[in-house]
Amino acid sequence: MDQLRGQELKAAFSAATERLEEFRDAVNALNVFPVPDGDTGTNMLLTMRAALKAATEECPDGQEHSVAAVSSSLAQGAFFGARGNSGVILSQFFKGFADALSDKELLTSRDLSSAFNLASEAAYKAVGSPVEGTMLTVIRSASEATRETGLDLLKTLEAAYLTSQEALEHTPEQLPDLRQAGVVDAGGLGVVVLIGGILQRLSDDEAGGIDLSELSRFQGAINNGGQINLDYLNASTEEEWGFCTQFIIGSAAGDSLDLDQVRSYFQETALSAVVVGDHQNIRVHIHVEDPAPAISYAETLGSVSDVKIEDMDSQNESFAESRHSAHAECPTLALLPVAQGEGLTHLFRDSGCAGVIEGGQTMNPSVQQILDAAHKTRAKDVIILPNNSNIVLAAEQAAAAEPSIHVVPSRSVPQGVAALLAFNPEGPWQENVESMSSVLSEVASVEVTTATRGVNINGVEVTEGQFIGLLDGELAIAEDDSESALRSTLSLAGLNGDAIVTVYCGAGKSPADAAQITAGLEQKYPGIQVDLIEGGQPYHQYLASVE
Amino acid sequence: MTIRIVTDSSCDLPSDLIQQHGITVLPCYVVVDDQELKDGVDIQADDFYRRLQGEGRTPTTSQPTPADFEEVYRGLTGQGHQIISIHVSGKLSGTLNSAEQAKARLDDGSAVEIIDSQLASIPLGLAVLDAAVLAAEGGNFHEIAGKIRQNLGQYHGLFALDTLEYLQKGGRIGKARAFMGSVLHVKPILRLQDGEAHPVERPRNRDRAMRRLVGLTQELAPVKRLAVIHSTDAARMAELKQGLAGILPADQIIETRFGSTLGTYMGPDALGIAITQELR
Repeated sequence: MDQLRGQELKAAFSAATERLEEFRDAVNALNVFPVPDGDTGTNMLLTMRAALKAATEECPDGQEHSVAAVSSSLAQGAFFGARGNSGVILSQFFKGFADALSDKELLTSRDLSSAFNLASEAAYKAVGSPVEGTMLTVIRSASEATRETGLDLLKTLEAAYLTSQEALEHTPEQLPDLRQAGVVDAGGLGVVVLIGGILQRLSDDEAGGIDLSELSRFQGAINNGGQINLDYLNASTEEEWGFCTQFIIGSAAGDSLDLDQVRSYFQETALSAVVVGDHQNIRVHIHVEDPAPAISYAETLGSVSDVKIEDMDSQNESFAESRHSAHAECPTLALLPVAQGEGLTHLFRDSGCAGVIEGGQTMNPSVQQILDAAHKTRAKDVIILPNNSNIVLAAEQAAAAEPSIHVVPSRSVPQGVAALLAFNPEGPWQENVESMSSVLSEVASVEVTTATRGVNINGVEVTEGQFIGLLDGELAIAEDDSESALRSTLSLAGLNGDAIVTVYCGAGKSPADAAQITAGLEQKYPGIQVDLIEGGQPYHQYLASVE
Repeated sequence: MTIRIVTDSSCDLPSDLIQQHGITVLPCYVVVDDQELKDGVDIQADDFYRRLQGEGRTPTTSQPTPADFEEVYRGLTGQGHQIISIHVSGKLSGTLNSAEQAKARLDDGSAVEIIDSQLASIPLGLAVLDAAVLAAEGGNFHEIAGKIRQNLGQYHGLFALDTLEYLQKGGRIGKARAFMGSVLHVKPILRLQDGEAHPVERPRNRDRAMRRLVGLTQELAPVKRLAVIHSTDAARMAELKQGLAGILPADQIIETRFGSTLGTYMGPDALGIAITQELR
């Protein structure tokens, strides 16, 4: 294939947009940079649709059109329909593409190359500070691949398609956010799909058509068993940013500016540089340690105006600092509860604890086990929630052995949960120990278990095998079934006003078993809130809190 | 030559205040069921929240385009106005990027100052209101812009969500990730700080969350201005407003609603308070 007519170009972009639609969810799912909002695929698709809509209005189907007319209407439509950063970049791509073809009736492989290259340049100019390892890199690599001479259109496109895939594959090496999430760049995949879609359409009539399903290898995570790792959100930002410095250089009367020379000067001297413009005006956006020499240099070339200087380090420092203390699973400060039972273990992990030390009423962890678990979190400071009166001491011994271990002496699981909810992951450990300890007395703890022998304590007569209810560790009641014991003990716990009752059902019990009891309580004490949770703990048929 | 204030629809200001202060609001876009709609123009809150809780694809949002900004900027500068353009935090949205691009395209020496508010929703709205008041008083353009920048620390936002699910789906979970967890049905309270949402507390139910919102607001007293906001429960917002009456008379508290843009992340049954602290 040597040449393409305008309507064929439009049909190729239209087919590419259909392919993008098929890959939309895959592209969305990869979206972690710059904001992980999962809409890159949607934004690119909507931008493409807007481009095609304008092209179809300007250049109706079933008629002859020049490639100049088609590409300029695509650019126009993309500009006004651009959505999100990926869409804006795409729209600038089309603008460059159209500029290069502004006087072309037909498209040759050489035209395609110059259009691709101008498009790539325009795309880079679309963003304030271009970042490598994004769709920009993929676009640029593809455009470079089209420069090989002597190839026909299809071969040129094929080179672009293959090279764009290679570039996409390398994006995680260039961009830490991607590497940590274990994905390739979302917008980059969108670009590869578009190029592949065009190639597929144009090669339809020729032998050896291509199959885009091979691109599914980029879906999801490229390592880590397909699971996208969200810990990248906690990645620290240690780079030096210096001063963000922006200004415009205007040419002195009669003189003209050398854009390339200015650009290469700043690329060499600045931490990052975006330099755009023409021989009359040049806009400079750089990050430098010291803005003064940059401006002095600019003043030797012409008049300098619109100077804007911002200290990025001070902005970034506070940002990085807050990020460090906010690692989701608390690398600086970890919460480590003792718990037993699948449900309770899940509850604590689900609510942001670094881990769970297995243990409880019948199985008290040793000091060494607590120390080992604390080390495993790798956190600078660790707060232990013993969640049982028999474990508080071991936890305190561990704390005495290591200054990085602290204890909030929760004597029951309900107390531990109350402390957990008072935990502020962004606060220092001292503040947390204080605020978490202060809420322990605000909850009443109810425990229901089986009596292992007959006793008489606090005036309560207990026969072996009966179910006993403890309120805040004190024997309160003995009943013949566990549900009755739960109801009687809860009734003693001060169920008034807007109390919140949380019942953790033990192993062998389910929320359904307790539902009748709690429904009765809700009727008797209107205004209370009851939560039934599968705790799965052994030994206690029920644990409950009233707060 | 007068100064005009431009913002975006994530400011969640009620329309009467927008009109009264001559503020220009660029609509953000929400994409619902594949339709791209202008927040507050093509789609209103009632319809949005109905669709948010419906069966369709999760809505997404996108910033006003550079072309949208360019049109507004050219329109205002063409009438000889200077522009102070105050927008949602750059850590939460690319809106500032669109604004900067449009400004760069003006290239005619027009006076446009773009400010990253480090805020979102009605806290941004309160900053915009004060900017409009300053602008109306007149004075040096750069001085006024400088003053607005300098005062941004006096605006605060507290939000009590029913669930973090929408914030997570929308990719804005950020530091609030630490409060994820569904077992205990907590109603997380978040605070705007350094341009993003930070976790504060995890009350067990809505009543307690509301009481904590009031308590946390009290800690910021004395206050100059207060606003309350809701997504789908106007009655609870009215209750919240009554709770704040000890801090500021209820008739001085602004009532508003999360528009489609913020609603995408806040979800149903969300409440919030915006505070302008008295400068000491």
